Amino acid sequence: MKADLSAIDQLPGVHRIENCGKEEMTSLAMEMTHAVYAHDQVYGQYCSIQAYVDCPAEKAFEYLSDVYTLQEWTYSLRDFTTASDDGMVVATDRIGGATKIYTRTVANRQAMTVDFHCAWDQGEHLWMIYLMRVVPAQLVFDRPGCVVLWTNCRHPFYDRNPFPEKSPPGRKVWVGDMWPFFYAGHQIELDNLKYILEHRHANGLPMTIGGPQ
Amino acid sequence: MKTVSLVSAASYLPARVVDNSFFQHSDEAPAHAMFRGVKQRHHVARDETAQSMIVQATQKLADRLNLDLHNDVDILMTNVTAPDQPFMGCGAAVGKALGCRPEWILDLHNGGCVSFIAMIAQAQALMSHSGAKTALLCNVQNSAGRLFAQDETRKLKQALIPGDGCGVGYLVASNESPIKSIVQRNYCEYAGDMAIVRHDGSEWWEPSTACSYVDFTEAKLAQIMGRANHIVPEAIREACRQANLPTDQIGTLITNQPNRIFLRNWREALQLPPTRHVSTFERHGNLFGAALPLCLAEAIDSGQLQANSHLVLGGFAHAGDFAAAAVIHWRPQ
Repeated sequence: MKADLSAIDQLPGVHRIENCGKEEMTSLAMEMTHAVYAHDQVYGQYCSIQAYVDCPAEKAFEYLSDVYTLQEWTYSLRDFTTASDDGMVVATDRIGGATKIYTRTVANRQAMTVDFHCAWDQGEHLWMIYLMRVVPAQLVFDRPGCVVLWTNCRHPFYDRNPFPEKSPPGRKVWVGDMWPFFYAGHQIELDNLKYILEHRHANGLPMTIGGPQ
Repeated sequence: MKTVSLVSAASYLPARVVDNSFFQHSDEAPAHAMFRGVKQRHHVARDETAQSMIVQATQKLADRLNLDLHNDVDILMTNVTAPDQPFMGCGAAVGKALGCRPEWILDLHNGGCVSFIAMIAQAQALMSHSGAKTALLCNVQNSAGRLFAQDETRKLKQALIPGDGCGVGYLVASNESPIKSIVQRNYCEYAGDMAIVRHDGSEWWEPSTACSYVDFTEAKLAQIMGRANHIVPEAIREACRQANLPTDQIGTLITNQPNRIFLRNWREALQLPPTRHVSTFERHGNLFGAALPLCLAEAIDSGQLQANSHLVLGGFAHAGDFAAAAVIHWRPQ
């Protein structure tokens, strides 16, 4: 059955050329386009960052999908264990002192997406999700190399620790308290990733670590 | 450079007030954000010249400052949007009417909506290299009545925006209210993106009964807005930096008045509250180059501009081919 597109135009908030003229569209665009945006407007609920990396997309994907490379390019994930049968690895997030961080990696080679499903303190509910995607720069910038996209969404647990009883004794910090620094922290880590990938690629080094160091 | 002060300003508004009912689209709120927000504007009468507008504003200025116009105008500068005559500026005619004997007359046809700042810069340069000690700077916007009130043009939404008026400012080589910094940026790559055209394609000097209007295209709007968002705050920040003035110490900001979204964005970019940004847009429309001295005159008269505060002027011209800003330490005697 052919979809009734005119019904879509009745939906509140939907703007299409059929129900919103070009002039009105430009008007909306003007209203929405500011010279500056407050940090919270841009990074309040989502933290999306990106970087160009002078390294082929396939190699960047290979590196990212090896969970143990997080020891290299993240600021504070260290002391990884070997993976359990269901693919879970446990590490220490030194930002939280002795805090354990549980990670399961979901990688899709065809889409070149690498999603890290994580949580502090427990591994039953992995709610801290790091969504990453590698795009060949040839496609988007007409040049060699790749672009790495990275998004986090502000899960409500960032604002409220759901399992306070599982925290190490005496820990005062909660991962979500740092949300206002997520842009900065993640950008620094993405820069780490960029420089490490470029170094490994330029020097012909392997793209995986393959286990705890 | 010689220390030069901006000591006062005065304005003149044509008697004819035009509300939105004059325009064909008055019954409906204009859809386009570019053309919203003006409730009324003044239009020059057919027999009202740029020269006569400058004369009336200057007489107010002379009364306020107790000037002897015969001796107290070494430099006379004008910028007029719709000149009285095609071959010449009106500076000499202004001098004649006011009884001035200026050493220098400059009728400028560039600098657009921030020509007031360009005139300040040129007057300061002239004062630094000649014996000139005083300058009368005159901005006239008269294109609303002369072009945008034409029968066909007034049916266009763009006709709602311009308003006529005249603002004059007075400079003295003194330390009274010193100009602390001036920044001028020419972006010649953006020249030619704004043009006055006619429906029948005729040039302005050719015989025609077609009306004139601004060749405004949606395609250019995003570009122009992007430029304005970028180049105006940049010029203002640089002028503040050169004057050692943190932008949160701007006492009064006066910009050109193209539309309310540009005003909003510049204010946001500088993180200034609306109370520190002079806006006459709703009452006078886009006054083009006259906005700066006219807003200054209003800010002086209303008391908004406080003694011993920092006055910052800024804005851009045409479709972004020029941006300028200046910082003045306002301490009138």
